[in-house]
Amino acid sequence: MLTTLLLLAAPVLPLQDAQATAGRATVFRVDEVRTLDGKTLKNATVVVREGVITSLGEAVVVPENAEVHDLRGTGAVMTPPLAVASSSFLARGSRGGLNARFLAAQSLRLADDWADALLEEGVLVIGVDPPGAGMPGRTSVLLVGQEGPLVHDLHLKIDTGVGSNKKLVRDALAAADKAIDGEEKARDKWKKEREEWEAKQKEKAEAEKKAKEGGKEEGGAAAAQQGGNGRGQGKGGEQEDKEPPKEFEPPKIDPNVEPVVEWIRKQRVAQVRIGSAADWLHWQELLGDRELPYQLVLDMEPSRFSGTTSTNLHEVKEAIAATGLRVLIPAVPAERTFLPYTRIRMNLPAELVDAGLEKLVLLPPMSSPDGIAAWRTSVAMLAATGLDADRALRAMTVDAAAALGQEELSGPLKAGAPANFVVWSGAPLDAMARALYVVHDGETIYDRARAEEEEER
Amino acid sequence: MMLHACTRLLPAWLLAAGFLAAPAFAQEEEPPQPAPEAEEAVEQAEVAPAEEPADDTVSPWLAVIGGDVYTVTDGVHRGATVLCKDGRIVAIGADLRVPEGARTVDATGMRVYPGLVAVNTSGVVRADARGTDNHDPYALNQDLALTGGLTTVENGGAVVKLKRGSLDGIIVGETGWVRLDVAPGNTRGRREVYAGLDKARDFLRQRRAYQVAKEAGAAEGMEEPDPKSVDRRYLSLLEGDASAYFRADRLGDLLAICDLLEAYPMAAIIDGGREAWSIAGRLGRTGARMILIPRDKDWADDSLNRPSGWSIENARTLWEHGVEFSILPADTPYGGVRGRGVSTGGIGGRDLVTLPIAAAYAIRGGLPQDVALRALTIDAARILGVDGRIGSLEPGKDADLIICDGDLFHYRTFVQWSVIDGEVIYDKEQMPYFAHVRPRPEPTPGQMLDALRAAAAMQPVEEEVIEPEIIEEEIVEEEVVEEVVVEEPDGSR
Repeated sequence: MLTTLLLLAAPVLPLQDAQATAGRATVFRVDEVRTLDGKTLKNATVVVREGVITSLGEAVVVPENAEVHDLRGTGAVMTPPLAVASSSFLARGSRGGLNARFLAAQSLRLADDWADALLEEGVLVIGVDPPGAGMPGRTSVLLVGQEGPLVHDLHLKIDTGVGSNKKLVRDALAAADKAIDGEEKARDKWKKEREEWEAKQKEKAEAEKKAKEGGKEEGGAAAAQQGGNGRGQGKGGEQEDKEPPKEFEPPKIDPNVEPVVEWIRKQRVAQVRIGSAADWLHWQELLGDRELPYQLVLDMEPSRFSGTTSTNLHEVKEAIAATGLRVLIPAVPAERTFLPYTRIRMNLPAELVDAGLEKLVLLPPMSSPDGIAAWRTSVAMLAATGLDADRALRAMTVDAAAALGQEELSGPLKAGAPANFVVWSGAPLDAMARALYVVHDGETIYDRARAEEEEER
Repeated sequence: MMLHACTRLLPAWLLAAGFLAAPAFAQEEEPPQPAPEAEEAVEQAEVAPAEEPADDTVSPWLAVIGGDVYTVTDGVHRGATVLCKDGRIVAIGADLRVPEGARTVDATGMRVYPGLVAVNTSGVVRADARGTDNHDPYALNQDLALTGGLTTVENGGAVVKLKRGSLDGIIVGETGWVRLDVAPGNTRGRREVYAGLDKARDFLRQRRAYQVAKEAGAAEGMEEPDPKSVDRRYLSLLEGDASAYFRADRLGDLLAICDLLEAYPMAAIIDGGREAWSIAGRLGRTGARMILIPRDKDWADDSLNRPSGWSIENARTLWEHGVEFSILPADTPYGGVRGRGVSTGGIGGRDLVTLPIAAAYAIRGGLPQDVALRALTIDAARILGVDGRIGSLEPGKDADLIICDGDLFHYRTFVQWSVIDGEVIYDKEQMPYFAHVRPRPEPTPGQMLDALRAAAAMQPVEEEVIEPEIIEEEIVEEEVVEEVVVEEPDGSR
């Protein structure tokens, strides 16, 4: 508050920095900046102007006239904001079967204070799944605190694996193949008709020409006869001569199948959800030789597993890692019961990384506000039992944002990058640490001190 | 035998012995010659490569070395090697050379049997005649079945291999059984079966008459009989394309089945047969095959003036009368309902891992041990119609085998490895179920010394005569009938 007062008193000072004319700067001075492109800056200063980080480093001159948040000596750490790459608690409802026409944004049920729980935990962006199983629709993306979705239509959600879900996806793929086939046939038919019509027009023109040159009556009769000789039975010659459309009009596709068609044509990315090693095998069998763009979500809900109380996805970790896919995994505690009487430690994210997985994204352990609150401690547990801590942090920030196509909202911190970051009161994977500020495009959209003040009031 | 390329399966000290011996042999290695598959194995010099092949490709060869091989159909080969390539058995014999780079399993001192086959299971697999869409090839139940030596089970009309982690080619056949019920209590069903078979038989007679007439050129005016007028199931039974399946335990039911089979001879499978011992001769003459549950106990009914109830000698009596059968464990009566077949549910599910113990019970009742082994392997495969591929260890058959640390029918015996289609899919030491119970013994210092001495004493290959054909040593002509000897851990009996 003191700083603010001082700054309010400052405008009389002359502007020395030429850049300062572009707008007033905001400065955060923290003990550590985790840029997440491999650097950790100690005792660093970050200057933000017009929504962009203009400079950051250990020896940065603080522009005069700037709003300065000096948190040096408090243990404050700055990181890119957290991103929840997939969630199911903001959209309500339940749809089974093939319902690919729906958007998650159509089912949003947001409480008045929905953003608070997320901002408190440093989350700036969240992907929302369409509710339901099977093929319930397409995902949307929300910018936390903003009204209305940031992206309405992102990934095609596919729930697959053993049993009925497999049949559903197989049928959907078959329907899409049929639609594509139908469209190709229709195009061929149109092409042929168009060519025939054009040839006929040409012939007619020539006949008319001839008729003009020769006897008028003779030529006219020939042209009329030609018109009647078309393949139309019982239809008049006039109808046969109807011009086919100049542009091809594709036949209408079932709106539930259309997104699948787009996916097969690689115009759309799918988000494929599996829960067990068997699911993976069945999914591979479904795919066959198809090369389709998708990211993988490993569903760790116990209801997905047969005969065991935890997932057995570690059985296929090499195969998953070898695909080079982006893999989204809930950060569940590392120790799980595997069999009756047998408890084994399993840190699936760490095992996948060891097997060569490159694109790891960590999700909250449960898809709920409680899950968001427990996210960092769950990830800390994974980091404590084998997952590289820096990798873990990236998997819940920049890599998670990349899964949503929102690299701008959570990218490595560097000069010239959009000013999107969180300032924590300590190390982000420390259970004691709290988000102090969440900054979006240079604007402080969450200020812990102010939020607490408001709460007290 | 101990010096072959070994991957994870041989203990480290054996590997070390292989390393020691390797340089001496490497010089003597013969250049590989193009040869047909079976001979390839023989012609390659016996070499222990010091390192695994540089490329990551898995060798198509698997050699199970040094065990007593119970082939079921060709006696016992002591201390022999089972050589497999691309999932099939290529050769069995004592003096086979193992191709370089082959995957090996050291079965020295162990017994090698065909993988066990169980008819009529529930809960082991979820693949069935409809396909594999519901199958979980990592399921706990399937793993437990593997610990019990099963490699193939019948479920819902499909014959399924317990290939852990695979959906490809796991269904090897379909039973296509026609379920019939001619129990005396089921008057209506019984009438339907007889009427259907009558009609099918009449159709076959008419068709034959038509064909004969046609050949003689006298078919004019005759109408060709329409096969659509007959129930296809009965037709396929009479034409020998399908087997009839009966569920029957009591004498009255069994007699009704005999009546039917005598009137309409056809391939038949009788599941149950608790009182079959009392009419074994008549059953034997029908040619019906059976699925027996030796521990399916039921007391004799004293109010009847005929033999009744169960008999420990049931399997033996039936075998004496020429009945072929498969054996299943008893499913404990659970919740008042007597379960059927192999299952992993409830307390009875524990029986799944003791399928050989169920057979041991029949052995106790007088059934020869080799017949009991047949019941768990080739005879079960024959009932399922897949005996051309599985059920015995023969060149050309699928490489489905189990390696046990003792007599299959002894209660102490564990399956140490299971191989399906030439791949080791179960290794007791690597799976969490029984690894901790009597771990696979480490070799004693004396054994290690012997192995090292043997390695040092081995002469270069030049002394060996390269034989063009496979040498099979010590083939026991007739299966040795072994007694189940209860051996206490301290060696006393």
